[in-house]
Amino acid sequence: MVQLTIDGQQLEVPEGITVLSAARRNGIKIPTLCAHRSLTPYGGCRLCVVEIEGMRNVQTSCTMPVSNGMVIHTNTEKIKESRKFVLSMLFSERNHFCMYCQVSGGECELQNAALDEGMDHWPLQPNWTNYAVDASHPYYVLDHNRCILCRRCVRACAEMTGNFTLATEERGASTMIIADYGVPLGESSCVSCGNCVQQCPTGALIDRQSAYRGLEPKADHIKSTCVGCSVGCAVDLIVHDNQLLRVEGDYDAPLNGGMMCELGRFKPIFDKQTRIRTPMIRKDGALKAATWDEAVAVIIENIKDKKVAALASTRLPAEALAIFKEFFADDLGGKMVTSIEENFPTQGLNEVRKSGLEGTLKDLRESDCVITIGADLFKSHMVAGFFVKRNLPNGTKLIVIDAGDNQMAERADIFVQPKQGSDYEFLQGLAGNISPEEVNKSTYVNIKSLEDSINLIKAAKKPVFVYGKGLSQQDGKVAEKSPLQALIGLAKSVNGKIFSPKGKANSLAAAAYKLDKPFDTHGFETVYLALGDDDPSNYLIQRLEKVPFLVVQASHDSKLMAKASVVLPVSTWVEQGGHYVNLDGLLQTTQPGTKAPEGVLSNEEALQIVAKASGFALKANWKSELKDYIRE
Amino acid sequence: MAKPKIASDWLAGCAGCHMSLLDIDERIVAIAELVDIRATPITDLKEPDKSGVDVGILEGAVNLSTNVEVAHRMRERSKILVAFGDCAVFGGVPAQRNMCGLQEALRRAYIETESTDSTGHIPDDPELGVPEKVKALHEVVKVDVWLPGCPPDPDAIFYALSELAQGRIPELKDEKLHWH
Amino acid sequence: MSKIRSLVLVSSDPFSINRGAVEVFEAIKKEIAKYGLQDEIEVSMIRDTGRHDIAPLVIIYPEAVVYGPVLVEKVPFLVEEHLLKGRVAAGLQAPQRELSGRIAWISARKGTLPAEQRVVLKNVGIIDPIDIEDAITHDGYQALGKVLSEMTPRAVIDELKRAGLQGRGGAGFPTGLKWDFVSKSTGIPKYIICNADESEPGTFKDRVILEGDPHSIIEAMAIAGFAVGANHGYIYIRGEYKLAQERMSIAIEQARAYGFLGENIFGTGFNFDIVVHSGAGAYICGEETALIESIEGKRGEPRARPPYPTTHGLWGKPTLVNNVETLANVTPIIRNGADWYRRLGTPSSPGTKVYTILGNVNITGMIEVPMGITLREVITIYAGGMKHNGTFKLAQTGGSSGSIIPASLQDTPMDFESFRRAGVSLGSGALLICDENTCVVDLTRVLLNFFRRESCGKCTPCRIGTRKLYEILTHIADGVGTMQDIVDMERIFPPLEQLSNCGLGTTAGTPVAGMLNHFRAEVEAHIKLKICPSGICPMNGSLSKELEKTWISVQA
Repeated sequence: MVQLTIDGQQLEVPEGITVLSAARRNGIKIPTLCAHRSLTPYGGCRLCVVEIEGMRNVQTSCTMPVSNGMVIHTNTEKIKESRKFVLSMLFSERNHFCMYCQVSGGECELQNAALDEGMDHWPLQPNWTNYAVDASHPYYVLDHNRCILCRRCVRACAEMTGNFTLATEERGASTMIIADYGVPLGESSCVSCGNCVQQCPTGALIDRQSAYRGLEPKADHIKSTCVGCSVGCAVDLIVHDNQLLRVEGDYDAPLNGGMMCELGRFKPIFDKQTRIRTPMIRKDGALKAATWDEAVAVIIENIKDKKVAALASTRLPAEALAIFKEFFADDLGGKMVTSIEENFPTQGLNEVRKSGLEGTLKDLRESDCVITIGADLFKSHMVAGFFVKRNLPNGTKLIVIDAGDNQMAERADIFVQPKQGSDYEFLQGLAGNISPEEVNKSTYVNIKSLEDSINLIKAAKKPVFVYGKGLSQQDGKVAEKSPLQALIGLAKSVNGKIFSPKGKANSLAAAAYKLDKPFDTHGFETVYLALGDDDPSNYLIQRLEKVPFLVVQASHDSKLMAKASVVLPVSTWVEQGGHYVNLDGLLQTTQPGTKAPEGVLSNEEALQIVAKASGFALKANWKSELKDYIRE
Repeated sequence: MAKPKIASDWLAGCAGCHMSLLDIDERIVAIAELVDIRATPITDLKEPDKSGVDVGILEGAVNLSTNVEVAHRMRERSKILVAFGDCAVFGGVPAQRNMCGLQEALRRAYIETESTDSTGHIPDDPELGVPEKVKALHEVVKVDVWLPGCPPDPDAIFYALSELAQGRIPELKDEKLHWH
Repeated sequence: MSKIRSLVLVSSDPFSINRGAVEVFEAIKKEIAKYGLQDEIEVSMIRDTGRHDIAPLVIIYPEAVVYGPVLVEKVPFLVEEHLLKGRVAAGLQAPQRELSGRIAWISARKGTLPAEQRVVLKNVGIIDPIDIEDAITHDGYQALGKVLSEMTPRAVIDELKRAGLQGRGGAGFPTGLKWDFVSKSTGIPKYIICNADESEPGTFKDRVILEGDPHSIIEAMAIAGFAVGANHGYIYIRGEYKLAQERMSIAIEQARAYGFLGENIFGTGFNFDIVVHSGAGAYICGEETALIESIEGKRGEPRARPPYPTTHGLWGKPTLVNNVETLANVTPIIRNGADWYRRLGTPSSPGTKVYTILGNVNITGMIEVPMGITLREVITIYAGGMKHNGTFKLAQTGGSSGSIIPASLQDTPMDFESFRRAGVSLGSGALLICDENTCVVDLTRVLLNFFRRESCGKCTPCRIGTRKLYEILTHIADGVGTMQDIVDMERIFPPLEQLSNCGLGTTAGTPVAGMLNHFRAEVEAHIKLKICPSGICPMNGSLSKELEKTWISVQA
């Protein structure tokens, strides 16, 4: 611990932190612009300057490490003058006229800082340079006129997501934020995660959807969980007037530290799908609006004494999944009660668990060598991918093993493509159980790549193996030559961890409820599909083509509507609360942000009504069955 | 002691700040009791007294040679000069013209607008003021009090006026200070 | 006015004044006038000479004879003998004992003027830079051998500390202390970086050393590596210095072949190797932390300090960054010892300094002279006087981040300490000497244009402050300046120094400060009378139009 004095207050703070965080921990306010707790200190804007006794010039508190006996003043006349100078410089650089900026009125950190300093005018007028606005991106706009060059977007792009799309070009007053080597954002390598937009302190990066629809200080902030995938990022729902303005990552969450991806951040607010607002029954070949009672009655008719298959989306909360399973499997004794997940993402999980090698996001974040097998963390589970990508410049090695294309490959140290179905042989080769020549013969991977991979893995202190849906399929049975068993053996031999991104948001809960076998609708008279706000895949739609009677419980219009016999309207994740078990086994909750339209029930309520009408009283003890899957 | 005299005028503005002044509603009675309201654009008297006033208030940015004259006249005749609203304080909306240049702005406004026919031309009557680079008021004359806002909040206006009426320089901060 | 033939300097430290220096000064002028020599001989006062025992001193150039103590009654004899008859005034010479500092140097070079004291440039122009054997026959790698076979790392650092060597990059930080910091840092590995990104306008001393004697730098870096415990070195050479890069690469190859670099040097088990890294044209990369970022492959932006490179430098490891000229001083110190070195220069700034002279003088080029000689000496003796018999108006030291030295400071000894006390800086060693035809507004504007373009853009004050200052100066040079512009400049440059992240920003305002301190009337003439006294500034609005064009090009 270090003893220091800030504004006369005697403080004790841990070693190694900065003066700024020492002040903030103790409730002493120092204004900042370029500093952010999720980013490394930069010291560019110079707004956070303080006076430290014994030092000649004022110092930036965001970069100054604390040391014993420091005496710091944060509010002297000199400091106030310095802040005003910095602010007047920034205001005079580009177009910072607040009166028609969309973030003016509380959201703009530049304006707030000026108001806090009591600035009622600018001592120096702007330069009147007009910069082009980059509006090429589908989700957001980069307005250089509002930019203060704090580089928070650039640092977020590099340090948080490891994407390195944003950068600065030129120098001095000509410095500009650019994407890649100066291409429009919309044509760049941007992955649309929007972490830069969330970071921007001014109106330079704003999303197209929420602009001018309500100011953040007047909006409600609801802490919730993203259900875009099984990572389960902690998010802030920003809601105004029962409209979802924005979804932002929660910087205080240890899980994602404020990060999100396109799926979680922009999909909900750019959602153009048509909402289903009323129950519907197919009459004379067309869906007609009906009451809940009418619709449920038709469903009961087609469930009673029929061969029923029940399929649920793993985007549904645990509460709904538990009821779903209890009603269709336990009460009705259905033979095909499962989820619509494809490619068995949680299959074999128990084998990994038994081996004691199961890794978490934390292991992934700290790994010095990541080996992905049939998993593309660029395409899905993007935030988990960010944890890998951002470590690559610091020396973390990446080996991508994928029979098909893989977007992570271009950043990988080694990319190998064993021929389809030969993962087992390749993994055995990595473990040294098969000679390189044999591996080459059965996988077509060249010997050098194999040997390089072996060397990288051996040199690593914390290797993490990420396997995804692409790991050679096992058809539900434990094959003799199981690639997963080979992976376990390999991981054990190099003291590594095995990490699986699993499937959708609640796929682990679905596995706990045993809703994880491959679905098959062949030969069933009625299929009940609890889709919620999930998107039906083409594969699913094909499978449901020939079903005699299809019940769809969904939020949005989709191709399934052409097939459905009865449709029940349900709420989306923004409208309903519930529990989710993420890929690490963390039990997380979502909170309702907006109210569902009238006549639309939650997934849980809809299932309750159907069960009740069938004469079953549901116990609905969703938590007890999850016990083994939850990590504290 | 005689009541302090207040005069106001507008330059390149939209009159919105004066509308916001009227938005102080019945409190204007209280102000009227404290001060002697002289020339304003919304009263009959159009020029501040030659003998001078205590407080001069100017709305709008300086964008024309005539504005410069009005600004200088108000400065000469008032003890305390208030820059009233974002245009006077920062340059505001009119100042956006500086971004594209004067000629382009005039051409767009008088010739290229969708509602202009082939007779459209940039006004060049010698009696008109000459447009120039748009400036904030304090770039042209010394300003004593800045009252920003687009428009300034009626509460802030009332506070500033009542302080000035009682011979104090208003200090705008915290909730009274917000530019929109 | 004809060219002067002699320069007479009278010491004017408090000690000398006490003993009648002012009277001596007046008397000399009177005597010279008596013979009608006032147009041929310049008489001036000189600050501290470092020898108080024989004050007051009179030094006469070009013969560089030192007289002292000179009493006022001896002046007529002195003037008659030396300046009229042209011989040394017998019995008045300063005693030749235990001479130190500046006086020792003047004595040593007597009769050979204009002479230089070549320490750093000893081999430059003498050896074949791409022939290591030539370097070896001229003392090359002797010091390294001595260090590796006879000295401990501690002894090397102590020797440097005793020598009192100060960094020649501009800041004048004690080199021994810096080495000490790095040697005491705990991180491993450590790195040695030679900063050869010489980009100060008008400065080319490092280039001459690199091109003329690359081996002295290799040797010094290896010594530094041994002293601080580093095995890796980088030479960051400015991208435009292709020849220097080429010769340095050849020299490194040769040194490796002779076993002066690489594994197990001289069989002592010490390993050291050097990589040449080329800059890419950014002035800011001469700043040590920006240079480190650049070597790491990042955008050249200075880091926040602390931590300093001595503990967290290249790749986060302890790193010693030294300027070329600083390193070139190391081998002579090791070879000849700290005591020898201390005899050069002044007590507070020992050693020599390489200056590059340019501007309105008769002879431009490079000299190496001891620390502590004055600007007047440089102009009169080495530069051969002002061009076209002009009047000295000001000098600009150390490229852009140096100071404006007005004529009133031309007798201040040029060493770190004296300049610091006078509120100016020595900078990197360029001396841009300007006559009365130079407009100070124009000069400052050109300098600020350089800063505006070369600021890295990281920190607010520097990025915007330099641009604002440049724009204001442009308005003044255009005849559209107002007195408010002076207020605005005075509002900008003090916080610029206080708030900037690195040396560029902190010194970018100094030309403006110097301009306003020493030449305010000239600036006000531009504003109030709308005239440029030197007739340089266009004063017709043309520059502002140019400026606006650059804005438009930004948009395109």
